[in-house]
Amino acid sequence: MSLLELDGVHTYYGDSHILEGVDLSVEAGEVVALAGRNGVGKTTTLRTILQLTPPREGSITFRDESLVGLETHEVAERGLGWIPEDRRMFSQLSVEENLRAAIPDPDDVRDGLRLAFDSFPILEERRGQDAGTLSGGQQQMLAIARGLVGDNDLLLVDEPSEGLAPQIVADVAEALSKASEEVTMLLVEQNLPLALDLADRFYILDKGCVVDDGETAAVTADDERFRRYLSA
Amino acid sequence: MIVEALAEFLTLGELGGVIVNGLAKSALYVMIASGLTLIFGLMGVLNFAHGSLTMVGAYLGGLLMVVTVTGGTAPLTRLGLFFVAIVVVFALLTMLGGAIETTIIRPLYDRPPIYQILLTFGLTLVIEEVVRIVLGVYGLQPLSDWQAALATKPQFLREPVALGPVSAGWMSLFQILLGTVTVLGIWAFLTRTRYGLYIRAGSEDAEMASALGIDVRQVFTVVFALGIGLAGAAGTLLMWDPTWGASVPLAAETLLPAFIVVIVGGLGTFRGTVVAALVVGMADAVTTWWFQNAIEFTGLPELVLFLVLVVTLIVRPQGLFGVEEVGGH
Repeated sequence: MSLLELDGVHTYYGDSHILEGVDLSVEAGEVVALAGRNGVGKTTTLRTILQLTPPREGSITFRDESLVGLETHEVAERGLGWIPEDRRMFSQLSVEENLRAAIPDPDDVRDGLRLAFDSFPILEERRGQDAGTLSGGQQQMLAIARGLVGDNDLLLVDEPSEGLAPQIVADVAEALSKASEEVTMLLVEQNLPLALDLADRFYILDKGCVVDDGETAAVTADDERFRRYLSA
Repeated sequence: MIVEALAEFLTLGELGGVIVNGLAKSALYVMIASGLTLIFGLMGVLNFAHGSLTMVGAYLGGLLMVVTVTGGTAPLTRLGLFFVAIVVVFALLTMLGGAIETTIIRPLYDRPPIYQILLTFGLTLVIEEVVRIVLGVYGLQPLSDWQAALATKPQFLREPVALGPVSAGWMSLFQILLGTVTVLGIWAFLTRTRYGLYIRAGSEDAEMASALGIDVRQVFTVVFALGIGLAGAAGTLLMWDPTWGASVPLAAETLLPAFIVVIVGGLGTFRGTVVAALVVGMADAVTTWWFQNAIEFTGLPELVLFLVLVVTLIVRPQGLFGVEEVGGH
Protein backbone atom coordinates (compact mmCIF):
# COMPACT_ATOMS: atom_id res chain seq x y z
CA MET A 1 0.00 0.00 0.00
CA SER A 2 1.41 3.36 -1.07
CA LEU A 3 1.20 6.36 1.23
CA LEU A 4 -0.15 8.49 -1.65
CA GLU A 5 -1.57 7.21 -4.89
CA LEU A 6 -2.94 9.11 -7.88
CA ASP A 7 -4.78 7.11 -10.52
CA GLY A 8 -5.98 8.61 -13.80
CA VAL A 9 -6.31 12.14 -12.43
CA HIS A 10 -7.77 14.76 -14.77
CA THR A 11 -7.84 18.40 -13.70
CA TYR A 12 -9.13 21.47 -15.50
CA TYR A 13 -8.88 25.23 -15.07
CA GLY A 14 -12.19 26.24 -16.60
CA ASP A 15 -12.12 24.65 -20.05
CA SER A 16 -8.34 24.14 -20.05
CA HIS A 17 -7.44 20.49 -19.57
CA ILE A 18 -4.26 20.61 -17.45
CA LEU A 19 -3.78 17.10 -16.03
CA GLU A 20 -4.68 14.42 -18.56
CA GLY A 21 -4.63 11.23 -16.53
CA VAL A 22 -1.77 11.48 -14.04
CA ASP A 23 -0.75 8.24 -12.29
CA LEU A 24 1.85 8.30 -9.56
CA SER A 25 2.54 6.88 -6.13
CA VAL A 26 4.67 7.83 -3.15
CA GLU A 27 5.82 5.29 -0.58
CA ALA A 28 6.34 6.17 3.08
CA GLY A 29 9.87 7.42 3.76
CA GLU A 30 10.61 8.36 0.14
CA VAL A 31 11.48 11.63 -1.52
CA VAL A 32 9.86 11.60 -4.96
CA ALA A 33 10.68 14.33 -7.48
CA LEU A 34 8.15 15.57 -10.01
CA ALA A 35 10.05 17.09 -12.93
CA GLY A 36 9.14 18.63 -16.25
CA ARG A 37 9.18 21.86 -18.20
CA ASN A 38 7.22 24.95 -17.15
CA GLY A 39 3.49 24.64 -17.60
CA VAL A 40 3.22 20.85 -17.82
CA GLY A 41 1.11 20.57 -14.64
CA LYS A 42 3.55 20.01 -11.77
CA THR A 43 2.09 22.67 -9.47
CA THR A 44 -1.43 21.73 -10.56
CA THR A 45 -0.69 18.15 -9.46
CA LEU A 46 0.13 19.38 -5.95
CA ARG A 47 -2.92 21.67 -5.89
CA THR A 48 -5.08 18.77 -7.04
CA ILE A 49 -3.81 16.50 -4.26
CA LEU A 50 -4.66 19.24 -1.73
CA GLN A 51 -8.12 19.70 -3.32
CA LEU A 52 -7.34 23.35 -3.94
CA THR A 53 -8.09 22.57 -7.58
CA PRO A 54 -10.20 19.40 -7.31
CA PRO A 55 -9.97 16.80 -10.08
CA ARG A 56 -12.88 16.07 -12.41
CA GLU A 57 -11.85 12.44 -12.89
CA GLY A 58 -9.59 9.92 -11.22
CA SER A 59 -8.80 8.89 -7.68
CA ILE A 60 -6.40 10.25 -5.09
CA THR A 61 -5.85 8.16 -1.97
CA PHE A 62 -3.75 8.88 1.09
CA ARG A 63 -3.23 5.88 3.37
CA ASP A 64 -5.96 4.16 1.35
CA GLU A 65 -8.47 6.93 2.11
CA SER A 66 -9.87 8.95 -0.78
CA LEU A 67 -9.07 12.67 -0.69
CA VAL A 68 -11.40 13.57 -3.55
CA GLY A 69 -14.33 15.65 -2.33
CA LEU A 70 -12.71 16.66 0.96
CA GLU A 71 -12.17 20.31 1.88
CA THR A 72 -8.54 21.44 1.77
CA HIS A 73 -8.38 21.84 5.55
CA GLU A 74 -9.62 18.26 5.91
CA VAL A 75 -6.83 17.07 3.60
CA ALA A 76 -4.31 18.97 5.73
CA GLU A 77 -5.76 17.45 8.92
CA ARG A 78 -4.92 14.00 7.51
CA GLY A 79 -1.22 14.88 7.52
CA LEU A 80 -0.45 16.53 4.17
CA GLY A 81 1.62 19.70 4.34
CA TRP A 82 2.28 22.21 1.56
CA ILE A 83 5.32 24.37 0.93
CA PRO A 84 4.09 26.47 -2.01
CA GLU A 85 6.30 27.87 -4.75
CA ASP A 86 5.69 31.53 -3.90
CA ARG A 87 6.09 30.89 -0.12
CA ARG A 88 2.69 32.40 0.73
CA MET A 89 3.73 33.93 4.04
CA PHE A 90 1.09 35.64 6.13
CA SER A 91 3.02 38.86 5.66
CA GLN A 92 1.25 40.84 8.41
CA LEU A 93 1.78 38.08 10.98
CA SER A 94 5.07 37.71 12.81
CA VAL A 95 7.44 34.83 12.14
CA GLU A 96 6.29 33.14 15.34
CA GLU A 97 2.60 33.65 14.49
CA ASN A 98 3.16 32.11 11.05
CA LEU A 99 4.60 29.04 12.76
CA ARG A 100 1.87 28.92 15.42
CA ALA A 101 -0.80 28.99 12.70
CA ALA A 102 0.75 25.82 11.25
CA ILE A 103 0.80 23.84 14.50
CA PRO A 104 -2.54 22.05 14.82
CA ASP A 105 -2.39 21.13 18.52
CA PRO A 106 -1.88 24.03 20.98
CA ASP A 107 -0.05 21.63 23.31
CA ASP A 108 2.60 21.13 20.62
CA VAL A 109 3.42 24.83 20.13
CA ARG A 110 6.49 24.79 22.35
CA ASP A 111 8.02 21.73 20.68
CA GLY A 112 7.04 22.95 17.22
CA LEU A 113 8.70 26.32 17.71
CA ARG A 114 11.82 24.60 19.08
CA LEU A 115 11.98 22.36 15.99
CA ALA A 116 11.64 25.34 13.65
CA PHE A 117 14.21 27.45 15.45
CA ASP A 118 16.70 24.58 15.71
CA SER A 119 16.33 24.00 11.95
CA PHE A 120 16.63 27.69 11.07
CA PRO A 121 18.25 29.71 13.91
CA ILE A 122 17.79 32.97 11.99
CA LEU A 123 14.03 32.57 12.46
CA GLU A 124 14.44 32.66 16.23
CA GLU A 125 16.31 35.96 15.92
CA ARG A 126 13.42 37.30 13.80
CA ARG A 127 10.58 35.65 15.69
CA GLY A 128 8.76 38.91 16.45
CA GLN A 129 9.30 40.44 13.01
CA ASP A 130 6.50 40.65 10.42
CA ALA A 131 7.04 37.84 7.90
CA GLY A 132 6.51 40.28 5.03
CA THR A 133 9.70 42.12 5.99
CA LEU A 134 11.95 39.01 5.77
CA SER A 135 14.36 38.50 2.87
CA GLY A 136 13.43 35.99 0.16
CA GLY A 137 15.72 33.35 1.63
CA GLN A 138 14.38 33.85 5.14
CA GLN A 139 10.83 33.62 3.83
CA GLN A 140 11.69 30.31 2.16
CA MET A 141 13.15 29.05 5.44
CA LEU A 142 9.95 30.09 7.20
CA ALA A 143 7.86 28.32 4.54
CA ILE A 144 9.83 25.12 5.05
CA ALA A 145 9.73 25.47 8.82
CA ARG A 146 5.96 25.93 8.62
CA GLY A 147 5.77 22.63 6.76
CA LEU A 148 7.99 20.90 9.30
CA VAL A 149 6.09 21.96 12.41
CA GLY A 150 2.72 20.88 11.03
CA ASP A 151 2.94 17.28 12.21
CA ASN A 152 2.74 16.15 8.58
CA ASP A 153 3.37 12.68 7.17
CA LEU A 154 3.76 13.91 3.61
CA LEU A 155 5.13 17.27 2.49
CA LEU A 156 4.25 18.64 -0.95
CA VAL A 157 7.20 20.90 -1.74
CA ASP A 158 6.92 23.23 -4.73
CA GLU A 159 10.05 24.85 -6.21
CA PRO A 160 11.85 25.49 -2.91
CA SER A 161 14.96 26.95 -4.62
CA GLU A 162 13.16 29.30 -7.00
CA GLY A 163 14.59 32.82 -6.99
CA LEU A 164 17.13 32.19 -4.23
CA ALA A 165 20.87 33.00 -4.15
CA PRO A 166 23.18 29.94 -4.46
CA GLN A 167 24.25 30.06 -0.81
CA ILE A 168 20.64 30.17 0.33
CA VAL A 169 19.81 27.28 -2.00
CA ALA A 170 22.50 25.25 -0.25
CA ASP A 171 20.93 26.05 3.14
CA VAL A 172 17.48 25.13 1.86
CA ALA A 173 18.80 21.87 0.38
CA GLU A 174 20.41 20.99 3.70
CA ALA A 175 17.19 21.72 5.57
CA LEU A 176 15.11 19.63 3.17
CA SER A 177 17.64 16.81 3.31
CA LYS A 178 17.45 16.83 7.10
CA ALA A 179 13.65 17.00 6.99
CA SER A 180 13.48 14.07 4.57
CA GLU A 181 14.80 11.85 7.35
CA GLU A 182 11.58 12.53 9.26
CA VAL A 183 8.92 13.07 6.62
CA THR A 184 7.98 11.76 3.16
CA MET A 185 8.17 14.32 0.34
CA LEU A 186 6.76 14.89 -3.10
CA LEU A 187 9.09 17.51 -4.54
CA VAL A 188 8.59 19.76 -7.55
CA GLU A 189 11.95 21.29 -8.46
CA GLN A 190 13.44 22.85 -11.62
CA ASN A 191 16.92 22.84 -10.10
CA LEU A 192 18.01 19.39 -11.36
CA PRO A 193 21.10 18.91 -9.19
CA LEU A 194 19.04 19.70 -6.10
CA ALA A 195 16.21 17.40 -7.17
CA LEU A 196 18.55 14.54 -8.00
CA ASP A 197 20.43 15.02 -4.76
CA LEU A 198 17.28 14.79 -2.63
CA ALA A 199 15.04 12.37 -4.53
CA ASP A 200 14.94 8.57 -4.38
CA ARG A 201 12.64 8.32 -7.38
CA PHE A 202 11.34 10.66 -10.05
CA TYR A 203 8.36 11.20 -12.32
CA ILE A 204 8.56 13.30 -15.46
CA LEU A 205 5.44 15.16 -16.52
CA ASP A 206 4.84 16.34 -20.06
CA LYS A 207 1.59 17.87 -21.35
CA GLY A 208 -0.31 16.80 -18.25
CA CYS A 209 0.79 13.15 -18.33
CA VAL A 210 3.51 11.12 -16.64
CA VAL A 211 5.86 10.20 -19.50
CA ASP A 212 8.72 8.62 -17.58
CA ASP A 213 9.59 7.50 -14.08
CA GLY A 214 12.22 5.52 -12.28
CA GLU A 215 15.00 5.47 -9.70
CA THR A 216 17.07 8.64 -9.51
CA ALA A 217 20.28 6.62 -9.90
CA ALA A 218 19.10 5.49 -13.35
CA VAL A 219 18.72 9.08 -14.47
CA THR A 220 22.23 10.07 -13.54
CA ALA A 221 23.45 7.11 -15.59
CA ASP A 222 21.23 8.07 -18.55
CA ASP A 223 21.39 11.84 -18.70
CA GLU A 224 19.73 12.04 -22.12
CA ARG A 225 16.58 10.47 -20.71
CA PHE A 226 15.99 13.49 -18.51
CA ARG A 227 17.15 16.19 -20.91
CA ARG A 228 14.66 15.11 -23.57
CA TYR A 229 11.81 16.31 -21.37
CA LEU A 230 13.44 19.09 -19.40
CA SER A 231 15.19 21.16 -22.09
CA ALA A 232 13.29 24.28 -23.06
CA MET B 1 -15.60 87.41 17.32
CA ILE B 2 -13.45 84.55 16.09
CA VAL B 3 -10.60 85.70 18.32
CA GLU B 4 -12.88 85.85 21.35
CA ALA B 5 -14.21 82.39 20.57
CA LEU B 6 -10.67 81.07 20.20
CA ALA B 7 -9.73 82.50 23.60
CA GLU B 8 -12.76 80.84 25.14
CA PHE B 9 -12.08 77.56 23.31
CA LEU B 10 -8.55 77.44 24.66
CA THR B 11 -9.56 77.74 28.31
CA LEU B 12 -8.95 74.55 30.27
CA GLY B 13 -12.62 74.04 31.06
CA GLU B 14 -13.86 74.37 27.47
CA LEU B 15 -10.97 72.49 25.87
CA GLY B 16 -11.26 69.68 28.43
CA GLY B 17 -15.00 69.48 27.85
CA VAL B 18 -14.48 69.27 24.07
CA ILE B 19 -11.86 66.52 24.52
CA VAL B 20 -14.16 64.44 26.77
CA ASN B 21 -17.00 65.01 24.32
CA GLY B 22 -14.72 64.00 21.44
CA LEU B 23 -13.59 60.84 23.22
CA ALA B 24 -17.22 59.91 23.92
CA LYS B 25 -18.12 60.41 20.25
CA SER B 26 -15.03 58.38 19.28
CA ALA B 27 -16.12 55.60 21.62
CA LEU B 28 -19.54 55.49 19.96
CA TYR B 29 -18.00 55.54 16.49
CA VAL B 30 -15.59 52.75 17.33
CA MET B 31 -18.43 50.66 18.75
CA ILE B 32 -20.58 51.27 15.68
CA ALA B 33 -17.70 50.59 13.28
CA SER B 34 -15.86 47.72 14.98
CA GLY B 35 -18.31 45.05 13.80
CA LEU B 36 -18.25 46.45 10.30
CA THR B 37 -14.46 46.58 10.19
CA LEU B 38 -14.23 42.93 11.25
CA ILE B 39 -16.62 41.87 8.49
CA PHE B 40 -15.58 44.34 5.80
CA GLY B 41 -11.91 44.48 6.67
CA LEU B 42 -11.18 40.84 7.36
CA MET B 43 -13.64 39.10 5.05
CA GLY B 44 -14.05 41.72 2.32
CA VAL B 45 -17.83 41.51 2.67
CA LEU B 46 -19.76 44.76 2.28
CA ASN B 47 -22.52 44.39 4.86
CA PHE B 48 -25.09 47.08 4.19
CA ALA B 49 -27.35 45.49 6.81
CA HIS B 50 -24.91 46.52 9.58
CA GLY B 51 -26.87 49.67 10.49
CA SER B 52 -30.17 47.77 10.55
CA LEU B 53 -28.73 45.18 12.90
CA THR B 54 -27.43 47.98 15.14
CA MET B 55 -31.00 49.30 15.18
CA VAL B 56 -32.33 45.82 16.06
CA GLY B 57 -29.78 45.74 18.92
CA ALA B 58 -31.09 49.09 20.17
CA TYR B 59 -34.67 47.83 20.23
CA LEU B 60 -33.76 44.47 21.78
CA GLY B 61 -31.66 46.17 24.46
CA GLY B 62 -34.49 48.61 25.06
CA LEU B 63 -36.99 45.79 25.33
CA LEU B 64 -34.88 43.98 27.93
CA MET B 65 -34.54 47.18 29.95
CA VAL B 66 -38.22 48.14 29.71
CA VAL B 67 -39.27 44.65 30.81
CA THR B 68 -36.85 44.44 33.76
CA VAL B 69 -36.70 48.02 35.06
CA THR B 70 -39.50 49.58 37.09
CA GLY B 71 -39.83 53.06 38.54
CA GLY B 72 -38.41 51.85 41.82
CA THR B 73 -35.33 50.09 40.41
CA ALA B 74 -32.17 51.49 42.02
CA PRO B 75 -29.64 53.27 39.73
CA LEU B 76 -26.89 50.72 40.21
CA THR B 77 -29.34 47.86 39.59
CA ARG B 78 -30.35 49.61 36.35
CA LEU B 79 -26.70 49.81 35.40
CA GLY B 80 -26.22 46.12 36.16
CA LEU B 81 -29.30 45.22 34.11
CA PHE B 82 -27.92 47.32 31.26
CA PHE B 83 -24.70 45.28 31.23
CA VAL B 84 -26.77 42.09 31.27
CA ALA B 85 -28.80 43.49 28.36
CA ILE B 86 -25.62 44.23 26.38
CA VAL B 87 -24.38 40.66 26.92
CA VAL B 88 -27.75 39.12 26.01
CA VAL B 89 -28.13 41.29 22.88
CA PHE B 90 -24.55 40.51 21.89
CA ALA B 91 -25.25 36.77 22.24
CA LEU B 92 -28.57 36.92 20.35
CA LEU B 93 -27.18 39.01 17.50
CA THR B 94 -24.09 36.81 17.30
CA MET B 95 -26.34 33.79 16.77
CA LEU B 96 -28.39 35.73 14.21
CA GLY B 97 -25.18 36.77 12.43
CA GLY B 98 -23.99 33.17 12.29
CA ALA B 99 -27.30 32.11 10.79
CA ILE B 100 -27.21 34.91 8.21
CA GLU B 101 -23.65 34.06 7.15
CA THR B 102 -24.21 30.35 6.74
CA THR B 103 -27.53 30.61 4.93
CA ILE B 104 -27.35 33.62 2.62
CA ILE B 105 -23.85 35.20 2.65
CA ARG B 106 -21.72 32.06 2.20
CA PRO B 107 -23.16 31.06 -1.20
CA LEU B 108 -22.09 34.46 -2.57
CA TYR B 109 -18.39 34.38 -1.65
CA ASP B 110 -17.31 33.30 -5.12
CA ARG B 111 -19.39 35.96 -6.83
CA PRO B 112 -18.60 39.64 -7.51
CA PRO B 113 -19.09 42.09 -4.56
CA ILE B 114 -22.23 43.55 -6.17
CA TYR B 115 -24.09 40.39 -5.14
CA GLN B 116 -23.20 40.94 -1.47
CA ILE B 117 -24.14 44.61 -1.72
CA LEU B 118 -27.53 43.85 -3.24
CA LEU B 119 -28.21 40.99 -0.83
CA THR B 120 -27.31 42.92 2.34
CA PHE B 121 -29.17 45.98 1.06
CA GLY B 122 -32.22 43.78 0.53
CA LEU B 123 -31.72 42.38 4.02
CA THR B 124 -31.81 45.95 5.36
CA LEU B 125 -35.19 46.54 3.74
CA VAL B 126 -36.56 43.28 5.15
CA ILE B 127 -35.25 43.95 8.69
CA GLU B 128 -36.58 47.50 8.75
CA GLU B 129 -39.99 46.44 7.51
CA VAL B 130 -40.22 43.64 10.08
CA VAL B 131 -39.25 46.09 12.85
CA ARG B 132 -41.90 48.57 11.63
CA ILE B 133 -44.55 45.83 11.70
CA VAL B 134 -43.60 44.75 15.23
CA LEU B 135 -43.56 48.37 16.43
CA GLY B 136 -46.97 48.88 14.86
CA VAL B 137 -48.36 45.91 16.77
CA TYR B 138 -47.22 47.48 20.05
CA GLY B 139 -48.26 51.01 19.06
CA LEU B 140 -44.73 52.46 18.97
CA GLN B 141 -43.67 55.21 16.58
CA PRO B 142 -40.89 53.92 14.29
CA LEU B 143 -39.52 57.35 13.40
CA SER B 144 -39.11 58.75 16.92
CA ASP B 145 -36.88 57.53 19.73
CA TRP B 146 -38.35 54.94 22.08
CA GLN B 147 -38.81 57.11 25.16
CA ALA B 148 -39.71 54.24 27.51
CA ALA B 149 -36.34 52.64 26.79
CA LEU B 150 -34.54 55.95 27.23
CA ALA B 151 -36.32 56.41 30.57
CA THR B 152 -34.68 53.28 32.00
CA LYS B 153 -31.38 55.16 32.16
CA PRO B 154 -30.42 55.93 35.77
CA GLN B 155 -30.68 59.57 36.77
CA PHE B 156 -26.98 60.00 37.56
CA LEU B 157 -26.09 59.26 33.90
CA ARG B 158 -28.06 62.34 32.94
CA GLU B 159 -26.07 64.61 35.22
CA PRO B 160 -22.76 66.40 34.78
CA VAL B 161 -19.66 65.61 36.76
CA ALA B 162 -16.82 68.02 37.57
CA LEU B 163 -13.33 66.82 36.67
CA GLY B 164 -11.37 69.76 38.07
CA PRO B 165 -12.24 72.70 35.83
CA VAL B 166 -13.77 70.42 33.23
CA SER B 167 -17.48 69.71 33.25
CA ALA B 168 -18.43 66.42 31.56
CA GLY B 169 -21.47 64.22 31.48
CA TRP B 170 -21.50 60.89 33.31
CA MET B 171 -22.93 59.43 30.12
CA SER B 172 -19.86 60.55 28.18
CA LEU B 173 -17.56 58.87 30.70
CA PHE B 174 -19.72 55.73 30.54
CA GLN B 175 -19.47 55.68 26.74
CA ILE B 176 -15.70 56.17 26.88
CA LEU B 177 -15.45 53.25 29.33
CA LEU B 178 -17.52 50.92 27.12
CA GLY B 179 -15.67 52.00 23.97
CA THR B 180 -12.32 51.32 25.65
CA VAL B 181 -13.47 47.90 26.89
CA THR B 182 -14.70 47.06 23.36
CA VAL B 183 -11.41 48.06 21.73
CA LEU B 184 -9.32 46.17 24.29
CA GLY B 185 -11.58 43.11 24.01
CA ILE B 186 -11.37 42.94 20.21
CA TRP B 187 -7.64 43.64 20.23
CA ALA B 188 -7.03 40.88 22.80
CA PHE B 189 -9.22 38.45 20.86
CA LEU B 190 -7.43 39.10 17.58
CA THR B 191 -3.88 39.12 18.93
CA ARG B 192 -3.94 36.93 22.02
CA THR B 193 -6.15 33.98 21.08
CA ARG B 194 -5.63 31.08 18.73
CA TYR B 195 -8.88 31.86 16.96
CA GLY B 196 -7.79 35.46 16.46
CA LEU B 197 -4.61 34.15 14.85
CA TYR B 198 -6.70 31.99 12.50
CA ILE B 199 -8.87 34.99 11.63
CA ARG B 200 -5.86 37.14 10.74
CA ALA B 201 -4.22 34.32 8.77
CA GLY B 202 -7.44 33.41 6.96
CA SER B 203 -8.22 36.99 6.05
CA GLU B 204 -4.76 37.47 4.52
CA ASP B 205 -4.58 34.22 2.52
CA ALA B 206 -7.57 31.91 2.85
CA GLU B 207 -6.12 29.26 0.54
CA MET B 208 -2.84 28.97 2.45
CA ALA B 209 -4.67 28.96 5.77
CA SER B 210 -6.83 26.06 4.53
CA ALA B 211 -3.72 24.16 3.49
CA LEU B 212 -2.47 24.53 7.08
CA GLY B 213 -5.63 22.80 8.35
CA ILE B 214 -7.60 25.92 9.29
CA ASP B 215 -11.32 25.70 8.53
CA VAL B 216 -11.57 29.11 6.89
CA ARG B 217 -15.31 28.89 6.26
CA GLN B 218 -15.91 28.36 9.96
CA VAL B 219 -13.53 31.23 10.76
CA PHE B 220 -15.50 33.57 8.49
CA THR B 221 -18.78 32.46 10.08
CA VAL B 222 -17.35 33.37 13.50
CA VAL B 223 -16.07 36.74 12.23
CA PHE B 224 -19.44 37.61 10.68
CA ALA B 225 -21.32 36.47 13.78
CA LEU B 226 -19.09 38.49 16.12
CA GLY B 227 -19.36 41.52 13.85
CA ILE B 228 -23.15 41.39 14.03
CA GLY B 229 -22.99 40.78 17.79
CA LEU B 230 -20.89 43.95 18.15
CA ALA B 231 -23.39 45.88 16.03
CA GLY B 232 -26.13 44.78 18.43
CA ALA B 233 -24.10 45.71 21.52
CA ALA B 234 -23.42 49.15 20.00
CA GLY B 235 -27.15 49.55 19.37
CA THR B 236 -27.93 48.84 23.01
CA LEU B 237 -25.50 51.58 24.08
CA LEU B 238 -26.99 54.04 21.56
CA MET B 239 -30.46 53.30 22.92
CA TRP B 240 -29.53 55.24 26.10
CA ASP B 241 -28.03 58.19 24.20
CA PRO B 242 -30.62 60.93 23.57
CA THR B 243 -28.84 62.09 20.41
CA TRP B 244 -29.28 58.62 18.88
CA GLY B 245 -32.01 56.58 20.64
CA ALA B 246 -33.86 53.46 19.50
CA SER B 247 -35.69 54.27 16.27
CA VAL B 248 -35.84 52.86 12.75
CA PRO B 249 -33.80 55.75 11.25
CA LEU B 250 -30.95 54.71 13.57
CA ALA B 251 -30.07 52.14 10.89
CA ALA B 252 -29.11 54.77 8.33
CA GLU B 253 -27.75 57.18 10.95
CA THR B 254 -25.17 54.60 12.09
CA LEU B 255 -24.34 52.93 8.78
CA LEU B 256 -22.84 56.03 7.17
CA PRO B 257 -20.48 56.99 10.04
CA ALA B 258 -19.48 53.33 10.35
CA PHE B 259 -18.42 53.15 6.71
CA ILE B 260 -16.64 56.50 6.97
CA VAL B 261 -14.63 55.35 10.00
CA VAL B 262 -13.71 52.02 8.35
CA ILE B 263 -12.66 53.70 5.09
CA VAL B 264 -10.70 56.51 6.80
CA GLY B 265 -8.90 53.97 9.00
CA GLY B 266 -8.08 51.76 6.05
CA LEU B 267 -9.66 48.51 4.99
CA GLY B 268 -8.37 45.45 6.76
CA THR B 269 -7.02 47.09 9.89
CA PHE B 270 -8.69 47.25 13.27
CA ARG B 271 -5.97 49.61 14.50
CA GLY B 272 -6.89 51.97 11.65
CA THR B 273 -10.55 51.88 12.68
CA VAL B 274 -9.67 52.84 16.26
CA VAL B 275 -7.48 55.75 15.13
CA ALA B 276 -10.06 56.85 12.55
CA ALA B 277 -12.78 56.82 15.20
CA LEU B 278 -10.59 59.09 17.33
CA VAL B 279 -9.91 61.44 14.40
CA VAL B 280 -13.55 61.59 13.33
CA GLY B 281 -14.87 61.85 16.90
CA MET B 282 -12.49 64.66 17.80
CA ALA B 283 -13.13 66.53 14.54
CA ASP B 284 -16.85 66.19 15.21
CA ALA B 285 -16.53 67.47 18.80
CA VAL B 286 -14.26 70.41 17.91
CA THR B 287 -16.39 71.58 15.00
CA THR B 288 -19.58 71.07 16.98
CA TRP B 289 -18.23 73.44 19.66
CA TRP B 290 -17.19 76.01 17.06
CA PHE B 291 -20.40 75.92 15.09
CA GLN B 292 -22.50 76.14 18.24
CA ASN B 293 -20.46 78.79 20.08
CA ALA B 294 -18.91 80.97 17.39
CA ILE B 295 -20.39 80.42 13.95
CA GLU B 296 -23.87 79.30 14.99
CA PHE B 297 -24.52 76.86 12.16
CA THR B 298 -25.47 73.61 13.84
CA GLY B 299 -25.89 71.58 10.65
CA LEU B 300 -22.25 71.89 9.68
CA PRO B 301 -20.62 69.40 12.14
CA GLU B 302 -22.28 66.51 10.31
CA LEU B 303 -20.57 67.61 7.13
CA VAL B 304 -17.22 67.30 8.90
CA LEU B 305 -17.47 63.50 8.80
CA PHE B 306 -17.70 63.62 5.03
CA LEU B 307 -14.98 66.25 4.84
CA VAL B 308 -12.63 63.95 6.75
CA LEU B 309 -13.56 61.13 4.35
CA VAL B 310 -12.97 63.25 1.23
CA VAL B 311 -9.62 64.59 2.46
CA THR B 312 -8.49 61.07 3.39
CA LEU B 313 -9.47 59.63 0.02
CA ILE B 314 -7.58 62.41 -1.79
CA VAL B 315 -4.43 62.40 0.36
CA ARG B 316 -4.25 58.71 1.26
CA PRO B 317 -6.77 56.62 -0.71
CA GLN B 318 -5.93 53.38 1.11
CA GLY B 319 -6.81 55.02 4.46
CA LEU B 320 -4.62 55.80 7.46
CA PHE B 321 -3.39 52.23 8.02
CA GLY B 322 -4.86 50.50 5.01
CA VAL B 323 -3.43 47.67 2.98
CA GLU B 324 -3.86 47.32 -0.78
CA GLU B 325 -6.22 44.35 -0.69
CA VAL B 326 -8.47 42.88 1.96
CA GLY B 327 -10.46 39.75 2.57
CA GLY B 328 -10.22 36.47 0.82
CA HIS B 329 -12.40 33.47 0.53
